[in-house]
Amino acid sequence: MASFNSNEWRAICDKFTNAQNLTETESRKDPENDPFRSKYKARDLLREIYCSLKSFEAGEGEEDSSGESGDQRPTEEPVDGQREDVFGQGFSGDSPAGLRAARLGAVEYYLGVNHVDTEELSAGQEHLMNCMKLLERCRVSSQNVSLFIHVRNQLGILWAGRDETETAQGFLETAESIYQRYMKEDGSPPTDMTEYFTTEENLLTHQERTKRFELAYTHTMYYLAQVYKNLGQTERAATYCHTTLQRQLQLNQFTPMEWALNAATLSQYYITKGRYMEGRHCLSAATVISDLAGEVPSEAAAQESEAESERREHLRQKRAEIARCWIKYCLNLLQDARKQLEDNIGELDTDRQDELKMARRREEEEEEKGRKSALLFGSEDTFDSIASIEEKVMCLFPLDFTEARSVFLVGQNYVTQAKDFFQMDGYVTDHIEILQDHSALFRALAFFEEDMERRCKMHKRRVDMLETICNDLNAQYYLLIRRQLMFELAETYNEMMDLKLTLANRQADTQSLDNHTIKKFNHLCSASAKYFQMFLDSLCSPEGKYPEHLEEEVLRPALVARFRVARLHSRFISSSPTVQLDNLNKSLENYKYVVQYCEAHPEAEAAVETELELSKEMVGLLPLKINRLKARMASNN
Amino acid sequence: VMSKNKSSESVKVVVRCRPLSRKEESSGPAGGIVQMDLRLGQVILRNPRAPPSEPQKTFTFDAVYDANSKQRELYDESVRPLIDSVLAGFNGTIFAYGQTGTGKTYTMQGAWLDPEKRGVIPNAFDHVFTHISRSQSDKQYLVRASYLEIYLEEIRDLLDPNHTNARGLELRENPDTGVYVQDLTSCVCKSIKEIEEVMNVGNQARAVGATDMNEHSSRSHALFLITVECSQPGPDGRKHIRVGRLNLVDLAGSERQAKTGVQGERLKEAAKINLSLSALGNVISALADGRSGHVPYRDSKLTRLLQDSLGGNAKTVMVATLGPAPQHYDETLTTLRYANRAKNIQNQPRVNEDPKDALLREFQREIARLRAQLNYRKWRSKQKNEQMEGESWDGDREKETEGEEDEEVEKEAEEYVKLEEQRLEREKEAIRGDEYMVAEEKQRLLGEKERMMVDLRKEQEATEQLTAKYKAMESKLLVGGKNIIDHTNEQQKMLEMKRQEIAEQTRNEREIQQQMLAQDEETLELRETFTSLQQEVEAKTKKLKKLYTKLQCIKAEIKDVNDEHVKSRQELEQTQNELTRELKFKYLIIENFIPPEEKNKIMNRLIFDPEEDQWKFQPLVPAESVYFEMHGLNFY
Repeated sequence: MASFNSNEWRAICDKFTNAQNLTETESRKDPENDPFRSKYKARDLLREIYCSLKSFEAGEGEEDSSGESGDQRPTEEPVDGQREDVFGQGFSGDSPAGLRAARLGAVEYYLGVNHVDTEELSAGQEHLMNCMKLLERCRVSSQNVSLFIHVRNQLGILWAGRDETETAQGFLETAESIYQRYMKEDGSPPTDMTEYFTTEENLLTHQERTKRFELAYTHTMYYLAQVYKNLGQTERAATYCHTTLQRQLQLNQFTPMEWALNAATLSQYYITKGRYMEGRHCLSAATVISDLAGEVPSEAAAQESEAESERREHLRQKRAEIARCWIKYCLNLLQDARKQLEDNIGELDTDRQDELKMARRREEEEEEKGRKSALLFGSEDTFDSIASIEEKVMCLFPLDFTEARSVFLVGQNYVTQAKDFFQMDGYVTDHIEILQDHSALFRALAFFEEDMERRCKMHKRRVDMLETICNDLNAQYYLLIRRQLMFELAETYNEMMDLKLTLANRQADTQSLDNHTIKKFNHLCSASAKYFQMFLDSLCSPEGKYPEHLEEEVLRPALVARFRVARLHSRFISSSPTVQLDNLNKSLENYKYVVQYCEAHPEAEAAVETELELSKEMVGLLPLKINRLKARMASNN
Repeated sequence: VMSKNKSSESVKVVVRCRPLSRKEESSGPAGGIVQMDLRLGQVILRNPRAPPSEPQKTFTFDAVYDANSKQRELYDESVRPLIDSVLAGFNGTIFAYGQTGTGKTYTMQGAWLDPEKRGVIPNAFDHVFTHISRSQSDKQYLVRASYLEIYLEEIRDLLDPNHTNARGLELRENPDTGVYVQDLTSCVCKSIKEIEEVMNVGNQARAVGATDMNEHSSRSHALFLITVECSQPGPDGRKHIRVGRLNLVDLAGSERQAKTGVQGERLKEAAKINLSLSALGNVISALADGRSGHVPYRDSKLTRLLQDSLGGNAKTVMVATLGPAPQHYDETLTTLRYANRAKNIQNQPRVNEDPKDALLREFQREIARLRAQLNYRKWRSKQKNEQMEGESWDGDREKETEGEEDEEVEKEAEEYVKLEEQRLEREKEAIRGDEYMVAEEKQRLLGEKERMMVDLRKEQEATEQLTAKYKAMESKLLVGGKNIIDHTNEQQKMLEMKRQEIAEQTRNEREIQQQMLAQDEETLELRETFTSLQQEVEAKTKKLKKLYTKLQCIKAEIKDVNDEHVKSRQELEQTQNELTRELKFKYLIIENFIPPEEKNKIMNRLIFDPEEDQWKFQPLVPAESVYFEMHGLNFY
């Protein structure tokens, strides 16, 4: 600057460097009882700089006044959101006046941030708005665009902190559009704000400039993601999270494992929304990027050093977490496909299958188009590896057994990986959740299997993996998990029983069932009833009393279990009339319970509408059957 | 009255208010803002900033304790039943929750030396060991204690002497025992003295690890865990083991909850924007929060460790502590609201019958094994003795029959060794004396004898070790009715029982009172089945009145907030007006009395000195030289 002599200028630069140092480094060491000591010191320095600049401006004012006085702008506060054309008017950022405004603005900006950091929000706001006012007189240029973005980021944070999310949104969205327009129209590496106060020899390289500028914009994206999340616009929020991740990757500003885990988590958002292509992309990228975190240290290495053992644990756990996200992907894909294909009794609807297969070609084309327009992760070197992982599993709904099986196998592979880390000893809850997913994978696959015998075997696999664990768990500490497992086991046995019966009926159309089948059938029937009963018993008080009032979260399961127990008892096959009678009585008792409970607690009716209706009917019908049986017994005697 | 679910029971919440401190008494003219109705278990909170017409806020709890309450009362009424159920094999947790400086630590620990002022923890110790000493002698007990703290999401073992430099402990899970802290020190305690010692060691470790004790303790959660295992022969003749776990939790100051990240309070921060990209994971997790997806996100350590106690399978008492001073109004209200919400957490307590993990069973098994080994050795040595006697020795050792006592075994073993040594020596002699034997063979035989001697000694050592181990094991077990000598204190026992009865009755009374209130409300509603229009009108008016007061309450709350804003705005406006007036005045002076040239000169020379917070004139001497001079001074 012309009228600062070099010594004066150097002094200002030193002050600035000092202030930066105090804010960023020293302030971390401030004591608890004086937490803002360094920040206050920095503030004082910034104020001095401000005064120097101001006094200089006052001296300069005369010669330059023609330019300034000609520009009579309204003094009202600039409010973002009603976007002004910051590119078209005002003086150029490169002009001396423009540079002066930018410098003063930068000091105001730093003062603003300083005040916000020290919890003086309104003072901070004032400084930031002063900065906005100064910039208002300038056109966006490579000299000042960084400040344009930064000040809006800060104002966005400030307003979001006050719960005025819409105001925050305005500032951040303007920042976004300024960035985009600048990159389109100019795009040269912009001056960083710190460079306003450096001597010539300390100017940044172009690379460093770009890096800092892009990082500021990454933050804009990240803040917008949070703003949209707080506004309840989850889809937009997800898009901005996605963009943030993508930018971190592109600009090489990330730690691999953290990034991978975030991408994997984001995939879970996509799969719950049914957007499997995006979900798969996130997961594939997560897998590839997590490999950048390095090799997992061997067990031997881990035993030798604590640091290595910690690293091993860390890497294995994170990879297992990503594997679990993959499991959920496969599971949801299969389950959603099933929903598309099943008829009203839960069996494969072949008409629907043909229809969907016809539509498939169209979908494939759309997938191709979608891929092109979607936000993709990856730099040149990772792009291919991500694509190759994507190819291993489909993202369209599987429509037949072969396709379903391929998805299942991928899922099962990840189950093995995840279980390898989340072992029963040490990670009980996680381990069981994985097993439950594995079981659910089998269940979903079984739907596609046409061969009843094999379908039954799949269910048997489910029983095998859950039964021992359910019985091994401490009933006190794992009450809730055990309830889930009991219910699932009961339902699985029930399903197997149904399958066996259908099979037997199909094979032996005319003749009655043979002894072996009956035995098998009764075994499955009683196993199912046993687990439902275990579930119901788990609701009892320590004294063994069944609760009079069911808590909301167990209301439906408990009533459904009763209903199913009733049904199972009436299905037992026995030739002995006394056993038959006994079973029918038990059945009636349970149906009655459902009806009576709903009478006493009308609020429960909505939860079990169909079951209640059937129970009522059965309560009417069963006594007749029982009486008939009794009559027959009497006459036989 | 609605039927209650028998299998679940809510968290019991009691509230305690400390007295006004002398400082508060002198500074605040208005006195306390907390009123308590001990009979009804109600806390009435007065807003010091509100007009007297405003309705006060009332909260109802399981029990309330005012400034005059004694430690003993709180213990007998609210804690004793919980400890009793721990002794019966339930899990129990006691939380202390409240703003720093409201007496959490006083409630939990109290003053150890003064029996009147001892807090929940020392009383609980006393309770546990007195119970053990008075139980029947067929019961065996094992008491273990652990002490840890959670500070900034790191678990630190306070009983581990190296805990300050060791890294944080990990939470793990086991199918038999649920969530546990890996490698946590667990001390077996045989007496009150021992467990108090454990507590002291931990407290010291806590103080040492922290640079600023107050600051530290208000930010960290301290957990003292006691496990009581009890074995008793059942009617089937087998021994049944019950395990009760007691968690005594001193939570971080409630004003820090938001920062330390305990449940619930996090919501408040939800609207704020996270500045650092490192929190991107939280943002994404919040989006992906669905049941069908997996979110690699862990609960806080405290929540995981106590998951049984919060909505899980345990009996829980929460003691919320309040400060009565007007300046604590906001914090106190927050604490009360939080405590009120805690009432709704449902627990499912269950007796831990025969859990496979029980250490006690392990102990018993180990003892049985050791005893068997000992017996076997004894039997073997006797066999050898007999053998030997048959060979060379004519002794009168017959009378030594199989005594069960260890001393006998020892004595016997000792003698056996002596004899054996003598025998070997003699044989050695014999070999040496055998002239005809080949030298080599002689050497070999001698060596063999030598080895046998060594073996013998080893065997003896092993037996000794076994005996020692056996004794150590057995000493860890406490047997009911044996260890503590206060059998004679029957009177004290009676006294305690009476006290307990009284406590029980107070509790019942309060419950009935609360029920009565509830029933009053219900009768009002029952009257809705009207016989005449007039009654209906009456009832409706009553109801209207009730609703009206409720409305007033809420209105008042809204007004509160508004008033606060208005007041601060007015203040700001006033300041602004004053400043503007002054500024105008100054401008007027400048315009009218100072020529513009002078003004410019002055303005140019003015500089703001932030250190003294005022404007100063730049010296007329060129600034540069002064600047350098000053620097020069600084340097040399």
